Amino acid sequence: MADDLRGAGAATGSTVTAPAPAAPAPAAGPGRRARRRRRRGHSSLGAALLWLGPALLLIGGVVIFPAVELVKASFSRYSITGLRLGDAGTANFRHVLDHPDLGAVLANTLVWVVVVVALTVLVSLAVAQFLAKDFFGRKVVRYAIIVPWAASLVITAKTFSMIYNYYYGTLNLVLTKLHVISTPIDFLGNDSWTMPSMILVGVFVSIPFTAYVFVAGLNAIPRDVYEAARIDGATPRQTYWRVTLPLLRPALLVASVLNIIYVFNSFPIIWTLNDRNPGFAHDTTITFMYKLAFKSAEKDVGMSAAAGIFNVILILVVVVIYLRTVKWQEEES
Amino acid sequence: MAAIAHPSDRAAVRVPTRRKVGWQRHRRWVLPVAGLFVALAFLWPYLVMLLNSLRPSSDVVQTPATILPRTWQLSTYAQVLGDERFLAWLRTSVLVAVTSTLIVILVSIPAAYFTARFRFPGRIAFLFLVLVTQMFSPTSLVVGLYREFFNLNLVNTYLALILTNAAFNLAFAVWILHGFFSAIPREVEEAAHLDGCGRLRTLLRIMLPLTLPGVVTAIVFTFIAAWNEYVVALTLMLDEGKKPLTVGITSYVTGYEQHWDQLFAASIFAIIPVVILFAFIEKHLVGGLTAGSIK
Amino acid sequence: MTRRMTVLVAGAAVAALGLTACSGGSGSGTAAGGASSGDSAKKVTSIKLVAAEYSKDHTAAFWKQFADKYKAKTGTTLDVQIVSWDAIDQQSSTMIQNNNAPDILNLNAYASYAKDQLLYSADDVLSPAVKSDLLDAFVKSGTYQGKMYGMPDLSSARALFYNKAMFAKAGIAAPPKTWDEFEADAKKLEGLGGGSIGYAMPLGPEEAQGEFSIWLFNNGGDWKSDGKWTINSPKNVETLAFMKKLAVQDKVTQNNPGRTNRADAFNLFKSGNVGMVVGFSPLAADLDKDKKVSYGVAPMPVQGGGEPQTFGVTDYLMAFKKPGNQAAVKAFYDLYYQKDQVNAFIKAEGFLPVTKSGLAAFASAPQLKVYLETLPNVHLTPTDDPTWDMVKLAVQQNLGAGITGDPKATLDALQKTAENGG
Repeated sequence: MADDLRGAGAATGSTVTAPAPAAPAPAAGPGRRARRRRRRGHSSLGAALLWLGPALLLIGGVVIFPAVELVKASFSRYSITGLRLGDAGTANFRHVLDHPDLGAVLANTLVWVVVVVALTVLVSLAVAQFLAKDFFGRKVVRYAIIVPWAASLVITAKTFSMIYNYYYGTLNLVLTKLHVISTPIDFLGNDSWTMPSMILVGVFVSIPFTAYVFVAGLNAIPRDVYEAARIDGATPRQTYWRVTLPLLRPALLVASVLNIIYVFNSFPIIWTLNDRNPGFAHDTTITFMYKLAFKSAEKDVGMSAAAGIFNVILILVVVVIYLRTVKWQEEES
Repeated sequence: MAAIAHPSDRAAVRVPTRRKVGWQRHRRWVLPVAGLFVALAFLWPYLVMLLNSLRPSSDVVQTPATILPRTWQLSTYAQVLGDERFLAWLRTSVLVAVTSTLIVILVSIPAAYFTARFRFPGRIAFLFLVLVTQMFSPTSLVVGLYREFFNLNLVNTYLALILTNAAFNLAFAVWILHGFFSAIPREVEEAAHLDGCGRLRTLLRIMLPLTLPGVVTAIVFTFIAAWNEYVVALTLMLDEGKKPLTVGITSYVTGYEQHWDQLFAASIFAIIPVVILFAFIEKHLVGGLTAGSIK
Repeated sequence: MTRRMTVLVAGAAVAALGLTACSGGSGSGTAAGGASSGDSAKKVTSIKLVAAEYSKDHTAAFWKQFADKYKAKTGTTLDVQIVSWDAIDQQSSTMIQNNNAPDILNLNAYASYAKDQLLYSADDVLSPAVKSDLLDAFVKSGTYQGKMYGMPDLSSARALFYNKAMFAKAGIAAPPKTWDEFEADAKKLEGLGGGSIGYAMPLGPEEAQGEFSIWLFNNGGDWKSDGKWTINSPKNVETLAFMKKLAVQDKVTQNNPGRTNRADAFNLFKSGNVGMVVGFSPLAADLDKDKKVSYGVAPMPVQGGGEPQTFGVTDYLMAFKKPGNQAAVKAFYDLYYQKDQVNAFIKAEGFLPVTKSGLAAFASAPQLKVYLETLPNVHLTPTDDPTWDMVKLAVQQNLGAGITGDPKATLDALQKTAENGG
């Protein structure tokens, strides 16, 4: 995966040369520096620890430790109160796999992640393109786009929950006034509408940061690349497909992988929009995991931890598959 | 030269275009109008929120609904600002978000630079580790976090929350900066070495300015993530005054008493600092690399 | 790349196990929740209370002044953590998982904690004077296996709220006393048109068990009888079938009852669109404040004769056994149940008393008369059974399906869950 990023870096511009692993030291330069750079680009583990140390410490302390706790919890047996009663072996994992609603939850998760990420990336590309232009009022637009990202997910979800409400929701009000519908739609309670309603919110909150990743990516593209394309006689569409998109590859990669992870783990939206819906019918793996611990008849923290482990493995598999696919396409072209 | 249209202009999907050069004459107003629509598309739920903050709580959930308030109530904002607890929540949020962002930047830049530029044993492991840590959702880790901070006697401290937010956002910062550092041509570094710069100075003086869009993106991202973090803050912060805004404002609407007007007013207030931060640094997103500076 | 990945993953796993070795052991005990009674252990200097947030304006303020008084009186600090109701289950579970339970926990259940031997009983921490002042119904509901563990903090009781204006318009003279009357009235109210709803029925996951309880108690049914679960008794099936009829056949309820929570039902009533709803004192307080809807409060209609049953709910303040905290906990309860404390809290939050002296103190409030009369005989859910903690959750998640599906099948499934869960 790191190789992908490096390869992507190499594709950034014609002026970039691929970093050579074991290039010889520069010919010119004082001998002392030549000795320090005897294997230019290579470094000792000690130096690495110095530069990476703080990062490792933070990650180790704040993420690895609780992750280990999660693993321990998944192998433990708990009372409904949260008291640890003993070991459970693999019972928790088996219970999760035997859960009658697991199939629905997995299906929901698949639809949720795929549709939200795909829509987000597509729309964000367009938005980023639009923001790259210079026009009167662009600043205002940029600020406006930041707002869904600036607002907390819980609040945005609560607002949408009100907007979607059958009786006092703005959406039903507007649609009825515009004579698009004659009776209100139960956006959150009607099973056919719940997923689309959630997806809208998911895409809505994901576009801003994705668009900005793309804006950063677009800004990193040197102008003379476009010059060269124009000189070669490329049409705008060809320029976009052959020049812009490939150069956006690192940004696309970062944005899509991170979006997959965040959308997978996105809790507040599904939770808030579903808080009147009983059972697990519209849950994704993350709310399923939470409900197992605190809101379901199982109320089993160990089972929830097992579900959490499954969740991580699932995301890992999805991301690895995605990266493999992307890399494969790169080798093809 | 201004006469040469930027090819990326033509590839915009949202703007109604005709391929002919003709529409360019109307470009002056077409783009701003399109911009208005785009802005509204992202603002409309928050306009609903704004309108809800300007009406009494009972009007918010009244059936049938109205777009404009039946009764206007402008006092809510003053009421929220005058609430001691709200101000304490706001202070906490600012403290936690700013400090977490600082830590992330200070830690991720060296790590990303080093990983992008140098081969060392465990390099790929590090990048992989960074990615994997992002895959654990805070919701599943919160119990373990509580245990850890409890053992360290750091429950209910700002430090715990700051460290948590920093750690959870490190991956994104490292990733995006890694991409930017990788993209800088070797020649730039070589030139720096020729001029006698050590690794650190190369990083600070030469590389960093070139990756500024990435740094800015990382700052915005981390700040917002820390500002809006909920689950961990809920679990770790016990005192009313130490709760950040995200946790605090849930007090406005309980199962027994609902103050929707105050909730939404407080939420509007919560959005403002982020927009302010963004206003200060967004121009650096615009800057970026320009051709020729490399040479 | 693949082999490298495998090596890396293995390496990471080894590192993780290494961390486990370092971190294991500190507090990760097993079922050792109980500690010695504490008399001989060193006394604590501070105790922790985790309290649920009933309202923004009153809960934190009350507990703050309480903590000050407590400190002045005993010299012990009371750390108060206020948690919203949505999050308190998660918070208390997290603490207990880490063997760091608070000293006092304010929750709507207690029996499972008693079963896990985590709690002090009233014999340990409640003075006899206080215990005798508590209303018998609440002592009973707070008693598990003969000992009282769940001390009530406040109570609420439900009654039938009706919209007087709509009743007048529909030509209904008095609130219904039987189910047949209820059904007929609801139809008339629904027939008013213009968005009128006959009866707002919240069977969403927030309090499905509450709404169902109110109806089934008034059909002579119960969750448990003689120590056995009777969830799918014929009377209960009849009740759920009646509720289904109201929703699906008569169509006199709001949209999608199985997915409506109490707050939504109340909001509809407050908007003046609903003829009848089952409400409690906080709703009355809101209605009085808004002055929009002229409403009346009546006892629930009954099926099959008999007296109307009031459904009541109480939340609990339970005390966890920890070394050295028994005296401090006892002082807490002594202070809390003093008339000026407990009744001030209840009054501020708008609920009902839990003590006999409280009944007397609140008797002067006319709007509470209808509740206070029935409070000593209030009918509660079986919170004294640890299995109920699980059954309640199952009911919340599954009962709504009985409205659109088959009532008998739904209740049979719940009965099975209850019988298996012990």
